[in-house]
Amino acid sequence: MQHALDTFISNQFHVDAATWAWTQVIYAIAIGLAAFALVNFGAILAGIFSWAERRIAARMQSRIGPNRVGPGGFLQWFADAVKLMLKEDLIPTQSDSILYRMAPYFVMVGFSCTFVVLPFSHAIAATTMDLGLFYIIAITALIVVGVLLSGWASNSKWSLFGAMRAAAQIVSYEIPGGMALMVPLLISGTLSMQEMIRMQGGIQPEAGGNFLTAGGWPWNWNIFHDPAAFVCFFIYFTAALAEGNRAPFDLAEAESEIVAGYNTEYSGFRFSVFFLVEWGNVWVMSAIACTAFLGGWQVPGISLAALDNATGLSSIGLELLSLSFFVVKTLSLCFVVIWLRWTLPRIRVDSMMSLCWKYLVPAAFASIIFETVWVLAFARSPSFQLFFGVIMSIAAGAVPLWLFAKRTFDNIRDTGDRVDLTNW
Amino acid sequence: MQTATAHAPAHELTAPEPHTPQKNGLRDYVDNIRGTTKSFWHGMSVTLSYMFRKPITAQYPDRMPVGRLADTLPARYRGFLEVDRDICTVCKACERACPIDCISIGEIKDPKTRKLVGMDRFDIDIGKCMFCGLCVEPCPTGAIQHTREFESASASFTNLTFRFVPEGTVSPVYKVPKGSTAFMRAELGSITRAIVKNWDAPPPPFPAKDTKKPTHAATTKPSGAAGALGRELAVRALEAKAKSDIPKLQKTFEDAMAGTDCGDCGYADCFGYSDALAKGLDFDPGKCAPGGAESKGNLEVMLVALKTGKAPEAPVEAVEAAPTPVEAAPTADGADALQKELVAKTVAAKDNPDALKAVFEEAMAGTDCGDCGYADCDGYSTGIAKSGDNDPSKCAPGGSETTANLRAMLVSLGRKPTT
Repeated sequence: MQHALDTFISNQFHVDAATWAWTQVIYAIAIGLAAFALVNFGAILAGIFSWAERRIAARMQSRIGPNRVGPGGFLQWFADAVKLMLKEDLIPTQSDSILYRMAPYFVMVGFSCTFVVLPFSHAIAATTMDLGLFYIIAITALIVVGVLLSGWASNSKWSLFGAMRAAAQIVSYEIPGGMALMVPLLISGTLSMQEMIRMQGGIQPEAGGNFLTAGGWPWNWNIFHDPAAFVCFFIYFTAALAEGNRAPFDLAEAESEIVAGYNTEYSGFRFSVFFLVEWGNVWVMSAIACTAFLGGWQVPGISLAALDNATGLSSIGLELLSLSFFVVKTLSLCFVVIWLRWTLPRIRVDSMMSLCWKYLVPAAFASIIFETVWVLAFARSPSFQLFFGVIMSIAAGAVPLWLFAKRTFDNIRDTGDRVDLTNW
Repeated sequence: MQTATAHAPAHELTAPEPHTPQKNGLRDYVDNIRGTTKSFWHGMSVTLSYMFRKPITAQYPDRMPVGRLADTLPARYRGFLEVDRDICTVCKACERACPIDCISIGEIKDPKTRKLVGMDRFDIDIGKCMFCGLCVEPCPTGAIQHTREFESASASFTNLTFRFVPEGTVSPVYKVPKGSTAFMRAELGSITRAIVKNWDAPPPPFPAKDTKKPTHAATTKPSGAAGALGRELAVRALEAKAKSDIPKLQKTFEDAMAGTDCGDCGYADCFGYSDALAKGLDFDPGKCAPGGAESKGNLEVMLVALKTGKAPEAPVEAVEAAPTPVEAAPTADGADALQKELVAKTVAAKDNPDALKAVFEEAMAGTDCGDCGYADCDGYSTGIAKSGDNDPSKCAPGGSETTANLRAMLVSLGRKPTT
């Protein structure tokens, strides 16, 4: 983005950006605008997810869901947000009022700071930080701090229980989650989110590739790079669910046991911040998974050079194309997150811990070892990697997807039902 | 595998898992992974399949796939009540059956014959109604029924009072043809649908306090006319009895009844009750609920006339006003004189049991009510005179006066009254 700004300055003001006195001011304005846009993107997205989740959940339960406010009930999230903001903001007398007020900010900051490095398309990303992945893992730890603070400061046993559960859960799942992200790191050899996506471009035309080898074809994705990466995608996804306190790992907010967990005492706008972060996190974890494993914004058949060198209208068109590829992949993962929530019951605390330490952690470490061997053995042979990628994407991608779709429609047929998309 | 089982002590620290006993560590470990994958595979295909099925939600009331929801309800659904006044006999069985008094019927009687001619009111307060259906069951013709209508949201509570007889009109009484078991009824729900108002309909004007309708005056019974009817009926009954004409006697009794065939008396219809009265199988004049006190009074006059064999004397308002004539307490002097006279007669008839019995019967109220435990006054007086019953307090209609007289008479005979 700095490069784009420098170009903008030299074109508009005909000065050298490196020496011009107002450069820093332009930078500051641009940073402010980007931050405003990203925070609002997160907030609005979380609101829309609340509506989408309710509609999807309803549909999975043979209900309809909110469909009265606006077309298809789409403005329901807006009405809910207005209601939440108009509610009285209560602070319990016995609470630690300063920490109580601070906790939502920690959570909000930990959430919105991830957008600093989250890519959206080939050119749209706040920064291209070299330590992107590391930064995300580090900054999301702030959410734990906020959750712990809120539980402690509320001076309520439910809140404290919820916060302690959340802390234990998030700290535990950081390990398999972080380790699983080591595998795409080993494959691409970089921590930068944008670079990681660029590395999933397959064999470029300059290196003798063609339409079917270059760009975001599934056989170029990290998930189909080798079996270890395939396993690590699921490890990361599970761990990210747990870190985001999403079902089936929403023990910190288990309403049947501890009321609403760490946010029991919160109301009004402060509560809506927790709410917003929970749904916003769905996008964040899906975007990271999409970046690290699913080829990010890579467009099938379009080489990196074509994206980099495009100018004018075709540049905008390609940019929108890559943006839509990224958004569609991320939203599909968001759908899976919602879908999982309405499929699985909440798991027990000890099961949650045993899943992490007995299954995910050993599997993640084994995958790293497997991956290092794999990379050492096959990194010099892109053609073998391409061949194996095609086999993997058929065997582990297309065939299971087809079987799953068949199973799904068999479920409908076997119960004497039929596909019917009416009654919305 | 050995290393896997070696972790067993550490496992004991966590909660026991009864469903997965540690038999073979590594196999269990792999089985758990496989089981998880399989259950995910199945579970997620089930939930996803519901994305493509039709939600069962019925978006009541404005996005219904069917026309009216009421039409889809089961036939025996207990919705709003409906009265078809074309087949209503005005027996008021429903009004009496209602446990919460939400039915109100205004009956109209002929001023001369005291027979039911119609009703000017049949209101059901559906806001109070608890849809128990107790009113439907006693209805002899099926005029009152539950419909499948149920939408009663209303801005005005008074709109929930359904008036089945429009205000200011009189609905005639339906005479049940003898032997009828089925009755033609308007289409169920059509009457109530016409009555139910929109939720925002304005409430009816509150009735002014002084608008007492003339029909209400007609329902208040003028005792003279009723007494005259009772006398006329009693004369006719005596004539019939003299000819041993049981059917005519029965007809006479039925004329004293409301004629609604409601069955509230315990008989199937008015014929059953009047037939029992005519044949001497029943002596209770108070069973005709629709007829009320008036019918009861007339029947009582007729029964007394048949029992005594003579027509009631000119004004029988005593019977009309109060079923127990002796309750009209005479003056103290009159009471004393009556007692002295009775005691004198008792002493005179001391040695003649039949005459003694006649004197005792004279002291009683003579209603043959049977409250004493004997069949009638004849039985009670025989008991005292001939069988040694020493209790003077059994004549309930006679009250304390009769008790005092009987006691004095017993004392004069040298017997010891038990009370």
